[in-house]
Amino acid sequence: MYQNEAWKTVKFTAMNKARSIKQNAPPDALPNFRNLGVTLRILLISNGLALLQALLQANGWAEIPLRMMQIATLLTPILLSSLLLLWAIQPWLNRLAYWHGALAVNVLVIMLTVFTYYFGGELYRPPDRDGTYFDMVRYILLGVLVSSILLMYFRWRSQVLSRALHEARLQVLRARIRPHFLFNTINAVLSIVRTQPRQAEIALQDMSDLFRMAMADTQDLVPLRQEIELGRQYITLEQLRMGERLQVEWQVAEVGGALIPPLLLQPLLENAVYHGIEPLPQGGSIRVELWRSGDELRLKVENPCPARDTAPRPGNRMALQNIRERLALLFDVEAHYKVDSGKNFYRVEITLPYLKEKAV
Amino acid sequence: MNLVELPLRVFIVDDELPARNRLRDLLRDCSEQLPLDVVGEAGNGQEALDKLMKTPADVVLLDIRMPQMDGIELAQHLNRLPKSVLGMSKWPPVIIFTTAYDAYAIKAFELHAIDYLLKPIRLKRLFEALTRAREAVPLQTEVLRDLLPEPRKFLSIHERGKIHLVPIEQVLFLRAELKYVTVRTAEHEYLLEESLIALEQEFAARFVRIHRNCLVAKDAIEGFERDGEEGENSWRVKLKGLGELLAISRRQQHIVKEFG
Repeated sequence: MYQNEAWKTVKFTAMNKARSIKQNAPPDALPNFRNLGVTLRILLISNGLALLQALLQANGWAEIPLRMMQIATLLTPILLSSLLLLWAIQPWLNRLAYWHGALAVNVLVIMLTVFTYYFGGELYRPPDRDGTYFDMVRYILLGVLVSSILLMYFRWRSQVLSRALHEARLQVLRARIRPHFLFNTINAVLSIVRTQPRQAEIALQDMSDLFRMAMADTQDLVPLRQEIELGRQYITLEQLRMGERLQVEWQVAEVGGALIPPLLLQPLLENAVYHGIEPLPQGGSIRVELWRSGDELRLKVENPCPARDTAPRPGNRMALQNIRERLALLFDVEAHYKVDSGKNFYRVEITLPYLKEKAV
Repeated sequence: MNLVELPLRVFIVDDELPARNRLRDLLRDCSEQLPLDVVGEAGNGQEALDKLMKTPADVVLLDIRMPQMDGIELAQHLNRLPKSVLGMSKWPPVIIFTTAYDAYAIKAFELHAIDYLLKPIRLKRLFEALTRAREAVPLQTEVLRDLLPEPRKFLSIHERGKIHLVPIEQVLFLRAELKYVTVRTAEHEYLLEESLIALEQEFAARFVRIHRNCLVAKDAIEGFERDGEEGENSWRVKLKGLGELLAISRRQQHIVKEFG
C-alpha cells in the first residue's frame, strides 16, 4: 500500500546514496597468506595447473598419473617452501603497496626456485642433462607464471568480494530496520513518556545508539565489548515492551579485547526474540554464551521456540543469511556457522578466528 | 432510549502491557470530547473472550500480532458468539484493529474498508475511529477469513455460558450430527455449530474425510482394521488415544492405501 511504497522509496534512495558515497573502489590488497582458505586455494590451483600440464604432455590415459607425479615432485618443494616463507613474511608484505608486494612475491618464488634447483639434487638436475641452464630458466618462468596467475586470481576475487561485501553491508542496514521493532518500540516508549519520563529518555538514547550503529559506514571489525553493549541495549528495549516474558542469560567469559564483525550478535538476539520468545505466551529465556577456545572465538545463542507444529512466523531470515555471507567473505573457511533446531529450541553457534584489538 | 447518548464501551486487547497503557492514556484524552468507558482489557484471546462474555463492549481495539492466537482469528471467534448469550443490543462489537506493521493485513483492510490504527497510535486517528464506530457495520466472517488465509488455530465452542477454545491440533475427529458437528478430543466431546463442509475446506491440510459425515485428523490415524460384518472391502480406522473405531465409507476406501 501507500506506506509500503514509501518505505521502498526510502530504501531505494538510501541504497543509491550509499553507492554514490562508496564509488571509489577499495585499494588492491595481497591475499592474507596466513588464512587457511587462501592456502588451500593456492594448493588447489597450483595442482590443478600441474594436472593440466600432465594432460598436455601425456600420450594416453595411463600416462597421466605418471606425468602428474613427475610434475608434483618438482612442484611441491617449491610450492610448500613458498607458502611457508609467505606465511612468515606476511606482516611485512602487508605494509607494501600492492604492486611492490606482488613483485616481492615473484622475487621470492624465483629465489626459491633457483635455490631448489641447485640443492634439489638429481631430481632437478638429472645427470644426462647436465650443463644447460635451460631447465632452470624454464622452472623460473613456470614459477613466475603460476604465481602471477594466482595473484591475478586473488586480485579478481577480492574485487568481486569487496563488491559483495558492500552489498552485504547495505543488506544489514535494510535488515536492521525491522519495521515491527521500530514502531512497536516507539509505541512502548510513548506509553511511558507520561509516567516514567526518565526511563523513556534512556530508552530513546538506547534506540538511537542502536540505529547509529546500524546506519554507520561499518568497519570490518569492532571491539567485542561494544557489540555486547549494543546487544544489552537492544534487550533492554525489548524488555520495555515484553516485560517479564523476556529473560536473557548472559555467559560471557573473559575474552579480552577481541574483535568481531559489527552487528553479529544483535541480529541473532533479534531473531531469538522475534521467532522464539514473542510467539510464546509465557515468554522464555535466551541464553547467550561467549568464550574463547585457543585461537577461536565462540558465540552461542539459544532460545526456546514454539513447537514446529505451528506455522513459522512470517518474517525474514535475511539477517541470518547476511551473517553467514559476511562471515564467509571475511574469514573464508576459518569461520563456522552452525544451526541446531529441535522441536522446542533453536540454537546458532558461530566460530570465528580470535582477533585481538591492537593496543592503542 | 437513545443509544448515542450512552458512553461508548471500549475493550482493549494487546499482549504488550505498554501498548495497553498507551491506549488507556489516549482513551482518557478522547473521553474529554467523546463519552466513553474503558470496560476492560485482555492480554490474549481466551482472556478477551471470557471477559467480553461478562462485560459487553461496543468497540474492541484489537492488536493483530499476539502469541498463540492473532487478532484476526480472535475477531472470527468473537463473530461466532451467539447474540442471545450476551443479551446485547449490538453484537458483535465493532472491531478496530491496531498494528505496528503488517503489510499483508493492511492491504486487506484497505481492500475491505476496515478501520485500523497504526502504532504508534495518534490521538486524532483514534478519536476519528471511535467517532465512526457507532455507525460502523460489523465485520462479516467471510471477510475475516479473507484477511486470515491460514486456518484457525482454535475452534471456539460455546457451552453453558462459557467459551472454550479447543486447539485444533487436539481434535481427533469431527462428525456431523443432526444440527451440530461433534468435536472429539482425547478427553472431551464438544458440539460445534459450523458446517462440516466449511470445516473440511478450512482444515484440508489436517483432516481427511473418511465418511460422508466424518473427518479424521491425519496425524491421529494409528491403523486400519477390516470390518468383518460388511464383507471384505470394508474398513474401519483406529485413532490414537481412542477406543472407538470409525467406519470408512465405500467411497473413501482409497485412504486405507494412502495412510495405511
